[in-house]
Amino acid sequence: MERREVLRMLATGAVLQLAPHKMLVVMREARAFLANESAPRTLNAHQYATVKEMAEMILPATETPGASDVGAGEFIDLILTEWSDEGERTRFVAGLDDVDTRSKRLFGKDFVDCSTVQQAEILVALGEKMAEDTERLRNQAFANAESPDAGFYSMLRRLTLTAYYTSEAGATQELHFEIIPGDFKGCEPLPTVKETGKRP
Amino acid sequence: MTGGWAAKELTEKGLRTLVLEAGRPTVPEQDYVEHVPVWEMKFRGLGDRRRQSAEQPIQSTCYACDEWSAKFFVSDKENPYTTAAGKPFRWIRGRQVGGRSITWGRQSYRWSDLDFEGNLRDGIAIDWPIRYADLAPWYDYVEDFIGISGEALGLPQLPDSKFLPPMQLNCGETFVRDELAKHFGGERVLTIGRAAILTQDHRGRAACHYCGPCERGCITRSYFSSVNATLPAAEKTGRMTLRPYSVVHSVSFDAKTRRATGVRVIDSRTRATVEFRAKAVFLCASALESVRILFNSATPEFSNGLANSSGELGHNLMDHVKAGGADAIIPGNEDRIDVGRRPNGVYMPRFRNVKTKHPDFLRGYGFQGGGYRPGWERGIAQTGFGPDFKKSLRRPGPWRFSFYGFGECLPNHNNFAELDKEAVDAWGVPTLKIHCSWSANELALRKDMAIAAAEMLAAVGARSIEPFATDEPPGFAIHEMGTARMGRDPKTSVLNSFNQAHDVKNLFITDGGAMVSSSCVNPSLTYMALTARACDYAVQQMKKGEL
Repeated sequence: MERREVLRMLATGAVLQLAPHKMLVVMREARAFLANESAPRTLNAHQYATVKEMAEMILPATETPGASDVGAGEFIDLILTEWSDEGERTRFVAGLDDVDTRSKRLFGKDFVDCSTVQQAEILVALGEKMAEDTERLRNQAFANAESPDAGFYSMLRRLTLTAYYTSEAGATQELHFEIIPGDFKGCEPLPTVKETGKRP
Repeated sequence: MTGGWAAKELTEKGLRTLVLEAGRPTVPEQDYVEHVPVWEMKFRGLGDRRRQSAEQPIQSTCYACDEWSAKFFVSDKENPYTTAAGKPFRWIRGRQVGGRSITWGRQSYRWSDLDFEGNLRDGIAIDWPIRYADLAPWYDYVEDFIGISGEALGLPQLPDSKFLPPMQLNCGETFVRDELAKHFGGERVLTIGRAAILTQDHRGRAACHYCGPCERGCITRSYFSSVNATLPAAEKTGRMTLRPYSVVHSVSFDAKTRRATGVRVIDSRTRATVEFRAKAVFLCASALESVRILFNSATPEFSNGLANSSGELGHNLMDHVKAGGADAIIPGNEDRIDVGRRPNGVYMPRFRNVKTKHPDFLRGYGFQGGGYRPGWERGIAQTGFGPDFKKSLRRPGPWRFSFYGFGECLPNHNNFAELDKEAVDAWGVPTLKIHCSWSANELALRKDMAIAAAEMLAAVGARSIEPFATDEPPGFAIHEMGTARMGRDPKTSVLNSFNQAHDVKNLFITDGGAMVSSSCVNPSLTYMALTARACDYAVQQMKKGEL
């Protein structure tokens, strides 16, 4: 069974008619299906798989493509390798590893082996921490060193959304972006308008 | 900007003109990248950060210098400069045929006598040797060629141009405009930006198609630049020779005839020095680069720079103070959105020290800004995920409005640029050391921008009002000017009222160096009008045998 198919079924909450340990095997096989992707340079294979699942959780395939379809994982690894500085890279990887620490503590498994419901619970917790840390930093005179996963989750969200909405599929199919609008109209009704007019 | 105008005017008036550009040529079909979609950019618009830090650490701080347009900004590594301790200055430049006319903001406003009379009224610096009446026909003249779109308002402090139809305001902007009219009457007027962007076909150039990022180029030539408009006109005369890769080192001067005889150029590819002879020299390299050339042109008589008997060369450097304003969420129009990417914002003309004297500061500021609805980026800071979250980002966020001020900078002799003989650029040419800092007046203007903007947003019923007054150094408005000011008295000015050097009759400076005060409006239109006027004068003087 293709990885993408597995993830899609999980996203819709469909229950796979398989024994739990067999489900894990299928999922691991699906994750091993990396034929079209180049190997990551900063993340190791497990971290890469984790990032890709998290990105797909944030922006899943629905009736339009999702984060995996547009290679969000590849973009994230590119940024970590050729764009981020040492501190950002360290913080991201530490935060990513910390996600597994969380999921092992809560569910006894790595993030990639958790159920969708369990994964969602972890993302909710990461989001709450991110919001708390943002609020705390705003209220403080000096910023303390951020705990690994808070800075990490903010970075992950930024890179996932950027990867998606600046991809051709994301920009054109999800946002109906047109390179040449032709005209400017200052006040059009929302439902009939295809494009938001925002520059990517 | 002004180099293109001088090329057009001089060639059209019958003069064979050599146009020297330090940088490389600009070929629209190859170099313009405005239609390259973000998914074709390696870093998806985030920019090549490591290359930027190495090559363009200063240029990359400019809003207009992004992953696409960085090619139109200088290499900071090849073009260093120094600043006085504790006085940072951001020198943002282009170095290719077309210069900053490729990346400029296109905002175009006329001066009024409120601006021209400012120094005389306030007892500051020296008086302008011209008034609005002298320049009005030249504003007409350049606007007729350029094509400025905008709305006529009949305001004395901001004279109307000859306008092409204005671009539309969006819903948020219409709302703010109408609410402000209720609360402030005619004192605070919101209008569409007056822009050198065509809203209809004009003189062989096509109307704008709203793709958005003009600073990346424009194959339809819809916004004005030297590459899009004036250089082609000069080329058409058959009398222009355009020589890129020509780093002008200095102007050569004959002490006996009291004339400039030509320029010394370093070919940037071969490093050979070439001398060109000419009847007249127009310096249009930008305020700082033109005076740098004159400093490097020093002679035994003009030991502190050619044409500098006044001692004012390099002094009275000004830039607009900005980064004061406010942003907020505005009510209404939840089910409406603007369509197309308008390359223009709103403008609020100066309202301070227009009818009544303000107790805290002299002069005033205008506001740029506009209404907008946040897009997918707002999802980054949110905590949602999954199908519903994805769907929620299909709709834009609530309408927001932003005011962003540009304020006048008072001329100050102690703001200046001098040669830094220790520091040279990649071609061995001594560079500049810049001494420039804001006075209390500029800081007071910036503070008032934030207060007035917040006040207006509150008056229209906005919420989550966020005022700001960021401590940005001079240079960032990219309107640096004043370094070779014009005036009636050769003892206190470098140029006369026709941009002609008092000391060297066949030397003209028509870029921002000539400015005596700065106003608060974007200056390029004024530079262009002054250039056309100076060229007309120069040619007439030549015909009379005076030059």
